[in-house]
Amino acid sequence: MLTTEQPESQGRTRFILKKMLGSLLTLVFVLVFNFVLFRIVQSDPIGSLFRGRNVPAAKIADLRTAFGLDESLWVQFWAYVRQTLQLNFGISYQSRQPVWNEIVSAIPATVALVGISAVLSAVIGTVGGVIAAWRRNTWKDHAITSGTMVFYSMPDFWLGMILLVGFAVVLGWFPVGGMTDAGSNARGVALLLDRLHHIFLPALTLTLAYLGEYALVTRSSLLDVMGEDYLTVARAKGLRDVVVRNRHAVPNALLPVVTLTAINFGFVLSGAIAVEAVFSWPGLGKATADAIRGPDLPMLQGLFLLFSAAVIFFNLFADIAYAWLDPRVEGA
Amino acid sequence: MTSLAMQRRRATAGRVLTQFRNSKPGVIGFVVLLVFMLVALAAPLLADVRELNPVFARAQGNPQWAAPGTFGALGTDHLRRSVWAQFVWGSRVSLFVGLAATVLTISIGSVVGIVSGFVGGRIDSILMRITEWFLVIPFLPLAIVLASILGRNVWNIILVIGVTSWPSTARLLRAQVLTVKQRLFVDRSRSLGAGNVHLVARHILPNVSGLILANATLAVPISILTETTLSFLGLGDPSSASWGKTLEEAFVNGAMVRNAWWYFLPAGLGILVVVLAFTLIGRTLEEIADPRLGQAR
Amino acid sequence: MRRMAVILMLALFGAAIAPAAFAQEDARVVLRIGLTQDWETLNPTAGFAVSEYEIWNVHYATLTDKAAADFAPIPGLAESWEVSNGGLTYTYKLREGLKWSDGEPLTAEDVAWNVNTGRDQEWDNMLSTVINLDAKVIDDRTVEITSSVPDPKLPNMDVYLVPKHIWEPIATDYDAAVEYEALDGVGSGPFVISEFTKGQSVVMVANPNYWGWNGEKPPIDKVIFQTFANPDAMVAALQQGELDAIHGFPAGSAETLEADPNIEVVAGRQGGFDEIAINGGAVSGQPHPALLDLEVRRAISFAIDKAAVIEDLWFGLAGPLETMSPGADEAKWIPDIPADKAFAHDPARANQMLDDAGYLDTDGDGIREMPDGTNPIVLRHAVNTDGDLAGPIGELFTGWMEAIGIGVELASYDQDALFGVIIEGDYDTFFWGWVPFVDPDPMLSYFTEAELESYNDANWTDPRYEELYLEQKVELDPQRRIDIVHEMLTILHDAAVYIPMYLGPDLQAYRTDTFQGWVRQPADIGPVMFSNSSPSYPLLRPVGSDGAASSDGTNWVLIGGVVVAVALAGAVVVTRRKSSADDRE
Repeated sequence: MLTTEQPESQGRTRFILKKMLGSLLTLVFVLVFNFVLFRIVQSDPIGSLFRGRNVPAAKIADLRTAFGLDESLWVQFWAYVRQTLQLNFGISYQSRQPVWNEIVSAIPATVALVGISAVLSAVIGTVGGVIAAWRRNTWKDHAITSGTMVFYSMPDFWLGMILLVGFAVVLGWFPVGGMTDAGSNARGVALLLDRLHHIFLPALTLTLAYLGEYALVTRSSLLDVMGEDYLTVARAKGLRDVVVRNRHAVPNALLPVVTLTAINFGFVLSGAIAVEAVFSWPGLGKATADAIRGPDLPMLQGLFLLFSAAVIFFNLFADIAYAWLDPRVEGA
Repeated sequence: MTSLAMQRRRATAGRVLTQFRNSKPGVIGFVVLLVFMLVALAAPLLADVRELNPVFARAQGNPQWAAPGTFGALGTDHLRRSVWAQFVWGSRVSLFVGLAATVLTISIGSVVGIVSGFVGGRIDSILMRITEWFLVIPFLPLAIVLASILGRNVWNIILVIGVTSWPSTARLLRAQVLTVKQRLFVDRSRSLGAGNVHLVARHILPNVSGLILANATLAVPISILTETTLSFLGLGDPSSASWGKTLEEAFVNGAMVRNAWWYFLPAGLGILVVVLAFTLIGRTLEEIADPRLGQAR
Repeated sequence: MRRMAVILMLALFGAAIAPAAFAQEDARVVLRIGLTQDWETLNPTAGFAVSEYEIWNVHYATLTDKAAADFAPIPGLAESWEVSNGGLTYTYKLREGLKWSDGEPLTAEDVAWNVNTGRDQEWDNMLSTVINLDAKVIDDRTVEITSSVPDPKLPNMDVYLVPKHIWEPIATDYDAAVEYEALDGVGSGPFVISEFTKGQSVVMVANPNYWGWNGEKPPIDKVIFQTFANPDAMVAALQQGELDAIHGFPAGSAETLEADPNIEVVAGRQGGFDEIAINGGAVSGQPHPALLDLEVRRAISFAIDKAAVIEDLWFGLAGPLETMSPGADEAKWIPDIPADKAFAHDPARANQMLDDAGYLDTDGDGIREMPDGTNPIVLRHAVNTDGDLAGPIGELFTGWMEAIGIGVELASYDQDALFGVIIEGDYDTFFWGWVPFVDPDPMLSYFTEAELESYNDANWTDPRYEELYLEQKVELDPQRRIDIVHEMLTILHDAAVYIPMYLGPDLQAYRTDTFQGWVRQPADIGPVMFSNSSPSYPLLRPVGSDGAASSDGTNWVLIGGVVVAVALAGAVVVTRRKSSADDRE
């Protein structure tokens, strides 16, 4: 997913400011959308809270009034906006804890998993794409293109299930899920290695699932560039293939890949939902999967807002990076 | 339609067919797809639908968690149901939802894209703004939120996928329409006083139809994969047995821990193969519609 | 550059091995228990999860304990009691020399303060026990508790007594009491809370001042409760010796655990059950009109195959059940229903009943209609997503109903949403469960008029049932009370609004080679932990010399370290070669 909008002759600063304003507007839209969507459905957490708890009925009625939501929609909306700005996303139905706390404690796990996978898939995928383009129509090209297409066409969580059964259940080389071993007092480096041990399979799953996109984009982008004149000149000068590739063709072809990586980071944050569920990886994805089983509406609302904000932010970042890196953009 | 136009159309169709036949990946994809369509259509002949009913399965004396070979082509699950039956009947739901959702996606996307590109001006800006917004919102969380609120049945899933996937189609078509529009201004028919509808119907649509078809074919995989993911997360229709639902049941009922690979491997493979088939066909159609792409392949 | 890579590799390798050298356990005796539920709060006035009750059972001693065999009240903090005033007053004598874990004396003041404050501030967990009680301090070791109405639950006094010297300044009102974190670690039970990490563990340390140790050194130093998001990981941990006992493992793992010679599996029952409930149509909401006909409900009951559920979904570990189970002591409270009144699995009979009652399939589509030919009988069945079995049971239910010509539409809800749906009455059937208390009163109350549009999720009332409910509430003669309860349950059974499916066990397992002394509550059929008063903890002793679990995790840490080191080294080597080739340009 590429934004290939050219800044034209508006100057870099103006371009960036325009992009920031656009992002802000989009964020506002998401806020309104979020509010409207979730106000349509309500449920009764109070009664359910006390089911089977042997508490007198009058007491429950009192608590229900205390939690009452009978103000006008408009008042509720402004309350919602105010609360969101204060990072108050309400209380999770399932855990009865503040949604913000739940989300914050899940972020590091997802950032670690998604970060590693995004980097690995970008690097491996790009390298694969370069090789495929350079060795166009040879067996290497076909192998890489077909291989990545196959991985791209399968449900990512299904790949995860296969890897889990194969390497964790049958071979026992890796744990069956989670982020750390049970009952371990491990600290420091031992803890880190334990975590690496647990992150290996889910990271492998995501990496394989996403490297297809990088490979294909790099390949076609490189093929485009390879048709351009300055490369012929470089070859004519007698430069070795590898050098022509690495010093001249690749850097220019990498431009879309850089922006792709940045944008993808925002999306991959939410793309790991099913994979985290399969591996019980305690991140945002698993939190989402658990919230769905409710539906734990406050959690879903908060997570949705976070995912959208992440994408908006990274898109903005990619646009700015593109403006900076592309030599064709004019200075202020 | 004038006979000249008809002739032109037939010639184009013939050209497309020939090019398609010459593309190996395209043909492979087409054949594979045909096989799965036949399986889906012939489901009643291939597997007894009553095998999907756990009460029937138990009454038949089926074993639980039987491996393939010991009972049936693909064994049984935790409720003693035949996995082969689930695979065959699941293909129907997965394919149906995939195609229906794509029809919805393409319809919305095409209308928005064509109107936006053709009319231009303020309407274009507004529509493109909306498209941008939808493109930015992460697709899966949006689908999850909508599905959670709307409730879990097949039609809601189709609606959800359609409503979240149309933006990229809209953008693509708008770009194409703009290109065609440029050529049109050179075209004499506007100077001859032709009206808007005529222009759209006679000139724009034929020129973008190839792209629409290619895009549609490539959108089906996305629809299928989205339905699979949504079903896996528990948002699918509880009473319909799509491949995604099979994967969900396998996961939730501990198929992985007992290494009951026969429960989740076939459904996933089915999805993989069908998606690949559509992708191959779609890419081939794309090349035919826009030959420049062919050189970059 | 290459030198750097080698040094890095060696460093990583060393780091991988180092923890193995340092990971020796200290010589303390540690009991490790795994469970799948998390804890929200450890404040006994506010929380409500099973996981939390277990911690309180261990941390706080109670005035009276409950016998492991049958929940009968036995001396706890009180060594004896006397009844007077026609059964309305109980005078308890506390043991001599009682102390809190921080050394402060535990006196009648503490007891009286808890009862009276809990009643006045309306502490959720205590309220129904103390609502009619008043406590008076007679002297340091004597407390008098009087009830304003006859209360068959007395002399049982199982409310958690919190230390007055800690709580009095904090608990100024209900809100203050409920919001207190309660991590002061001061308790009176065999172990007290030492650490709490939400989402991970609760660590408890031995309380040398616990009366039950009888002055001896506690045999266990620490108890660690660990929560697992992934039940399969928990089972694996028990098998690998990282845990000593687990609670709540999936039924599918029972076979593998039973096969292990060092592991004992316990399918513990304490009256908990699951049921398919039918909307009785008493108030609100629109059940399908067919359900208002008793004959239809009876036919549905005959069409259910409970044995299939016990066999296939519980692998035989659940117990059969014909009527609702109102209390933890199943043998006492569940009446015997004669075979000619029971609902055996008989679809043929069900079909006959529906035919005779006039519900025929007039248009041949496989679904029966109302006697006047309209309104096909299609039931809206709610699937509770918070339970593992609700999905499969939903599918089985569809099959059972199909066999007698009734259609089913499935809709999914989580607990909270389902509760709301039930109150509104927009459903026909659902599958859910209860875990009753020791005393049957609360569970019985859920079928009275007072609980309509609240916990009466059968949406049903009966005047005779109401009468009997009020009678048993104040009946002090134990046998007479049992008879009343049996009559009530028979009425409920015959009304066929609740189809109890089975007595659902807590699936637990413990290693036989680390600790011994596990006690089932109630005798023979109950669970060994997470039971009503958790009697095992003071009785557990290590088997052999040490009970500490060794961690096998370090092996994998080693392998992981090696893999990472090799991968890094490889990457370094590869990139080195490329750049040197380039530089020669």
